[in-house]
Amino acid sequence: MTQLLLFNVFNGLIIGAFYALMALGLSLILNLSGVINFAHGGFLAIGGYLAYTLIPYLGFWGALLVSPFLVAFIGIVIERVLIRRLYGRDPLYSLLLTFGLAFMIEDGTRFIWGAQSLPYQIPGWLAAPLSSEYFFLTGYRVFMMILVGAAVLGLFLILNHTRLGLRIRAGTLDLETVSVLGVNVRVLRNLNFGLGIYLAGLAGVLAVGMLGLEPTIGDNLIMPSFIAIIVGGLGSLPGTLVGGLLIGVASGVTSVFFPSASEAVIYVMMAAVLIVRPRGLLGEEGRF
Amino acid sequence: MISGAAPKKLDRRIVIKGAVAGGVAQLAAPFVLTARAAETVKIGLDNPLTGTFAALGKNELIGAQLAVDQMNAKGGILGRQVELLVEDSTSGDTATAVQKALKLIDRDKVDFLIGNINSALAQAMANTSNQKGVFHIVPGGHTDTVTGSQCHWNVFRVCNTTRMETNSVSKLLLEGYGKNWYFITTDYAFGHSLQDGFEASLKQANGTKLGADFTPLGTTDFSANLIKAQSVIPDAIILLLAGDDMINCLKQAVQFGLNKKFHIAGAQQELEVNEGLPPDALFGDWVFEWYWKQPGVPHVEQFVADIRKRSGGKVPTARTWFGHAAMWSCQLAAEKAKSLEPIKLAKAMQGLVLPPEVALMPNNPYYRIGDNQLMPTLFVGQSQPAPAGGDPEDLFKVSQLVKGDEAALPVDQTGCKMEWPS
Repeated sequence: MTQLLLFNVFNGLIIGAFYALMALGLSLILNLSGVINFAHGGFLAIGGYLAYTLIPYLGFWGALLVSPFLVAFIGIVIERVLIRRLYGRDPLYSLLLTFGLAFMIEDGTRFIWGAQSLPYQIPGWLAAPLSSEYFFLTGYRVFMMILVGAAVLGLFLILNHTRLGLRIRAGTLDLETVSVLGVNVRVLRNLNFGLGIYLAGLAGVLAVGMLGLEPTIGDNLIMPSFIAIIVGGLGSLPGTLVGGLLIGVASGVTSVFFPSASEAVIYVMMAAVLIVRPRGLLGEEGRF
Repeated sequence: MISGAAPKKLDRRIVIKGAVAGGVAQLAAPFVLTARAAETVKIGLDNPLTGTFAALGKNELIGAQLAVDQMNAKGGILGRQVELLVEDSTSGDTATAVQKALKLIDRDKVDFLIGNINSALAQAMANTSNQKGVFHIVPGGHTDTVTGSQCHWNVFRVCNTTRMETNSVSKLLLEGYGKNWYFITTDYAFGHSLQDGFEASLKQANGTKLGADFTPLGTTDFSANLIKAQSVIPDAIILLLAGDDMINCLKQAVQFGLNKKFHIAGAQQELEVNEGLPPDALFGDWVFEWYWKQPGVPHVEQFVADIRKRSGGKVPTARTWFGHAAMWSCQLAAEKAKSLEPIKLAKAMQGLVLPPEVALMPNNPYYRIGDNQLMPTLFVGQSQPAPAGGDPEDLFKVSQLVKGDEAALPVDQTGCKMEWPS
């Protein structure tokens, strides 16, 4: 039983890291622009579909590299054309817009690539188990963990050691003052949105290695991502990371004892956090 | 002051409202299309066109549309042209499915109602159509109750019961791979019914259920369930999943190397699922309810060619056949009854044998008297990667044909107590 629990904790951490990757993108956009991006799952799906389409031309690695950037570009265009117009209004406006956008993306992918799942093949050596004698782990999950880790590290380096990151962090605290200091807030929000969508695109490319590639692929991943934000604390990127990991582990461990509650447990966690510590585990008091 | 810079106050309540809205969004569904004409016989199709079962729904629709065109080319039903009215039931929202069924019945005045793929929605629609006294065919909802404990005089079913599926393959699994099984089962009516069927077979063979995990519909990560399954060292891991859940689980089972250690099998498998799997995940013993490659069976080649023309070159799946057979069943019943009156239609369906151009399979499928269940042929076999140089959609190898009435429980054991209107 101990071994079973350890296996599940470890796999839960990997899945949690994946949730965190999505949630970090959501959180970036939410923190700076106040936009609850319900189309995030849609951008994830686009990432997967673009990778599937590009593989014959660029190979697995080329598609892995290029697709998230293409998704980020699409995100930047959408922010420029649609979302920008709603800044300053009640957040429910942008929520409704992205809500509709999610449907449009889903039907768009269905129209272009069809409703049926598509076979996404990863390299054979990645698709193999590492060892199931001593630990139960697949090559692909380790690869995913490494990439997620690199992406999270990269994000924190950008935020803490670049001018763009400094401005994003400052804007998150007080956008008006940042603007008064001469920063072009429109460009800042646009780039930040692109960065968040890049993470969704990367999550999409990684997801299709172990999930079916079909138009609703983002639907089942978007809710855990929101919950990761709420559990970790609104406004806190480290909190989002912790929230993602926690719900992944909770879901994995629950699967050992009560599999049918493996999904429900993350909602229970969210409820518990909201009751006991409404600002989330690492959220700043009074921030939201 | 920057133009529109500061976002309005965003609080937890809004985020939580948003999260709730997201949940609702997965249940909400746009509406599709209707076409109208005077003096037509109306058939209402209330099936998923969005969400998890959209691909299956689309294939049933393609089969139904082909049947309508064929019927109209041959004079329609009772000399009247046939009109197909299509509604999106959503993939999982019972209230929407029932509301769309009521719309078809009350507002559009359909003569026949067809639907649903989702077992729970199919049963809810069946109860509604019974209250309204409308002739109803369930093309692809498998849960046993539809023609079992909640059967109705007006409700017929084309696809198999879950018990027929498990009975058709369980002998092969028990004799070929052993009697210690671990189940990974989708946590709704369809999965539960399948597991009940397999457990009955296991009990009969003095086999052992080593464990069972019920997983929520839409589960993305099956690692915990696969880890548990491996830990008890079963003879076979039985996957009773559907759609994308099945794809996710099979892909992950391959990545964990479980297909090399244990036998992985299940009951129902669909071509739509196999087409979404990479070649290394195409393995295991399953039941197909219809397969497009049936050398020597009359009319199948023509059907495949007709469907290819309508679906961008893709072959028909069992779902396409369900839609096609359901529509033709309406026509056959009406022509036999010489009426569109529901009771007369239902009486005409008792024991009705599908002609070869509708059956498209061996063994003369027929609607059984007593529970209104079609007794078709089941195709037991193995998933396979497309053969080199062969058709890329030839992803299943049929090894055994099982007659429906040999796999089905006798009527008196189905729980169906048919009550006809006085």
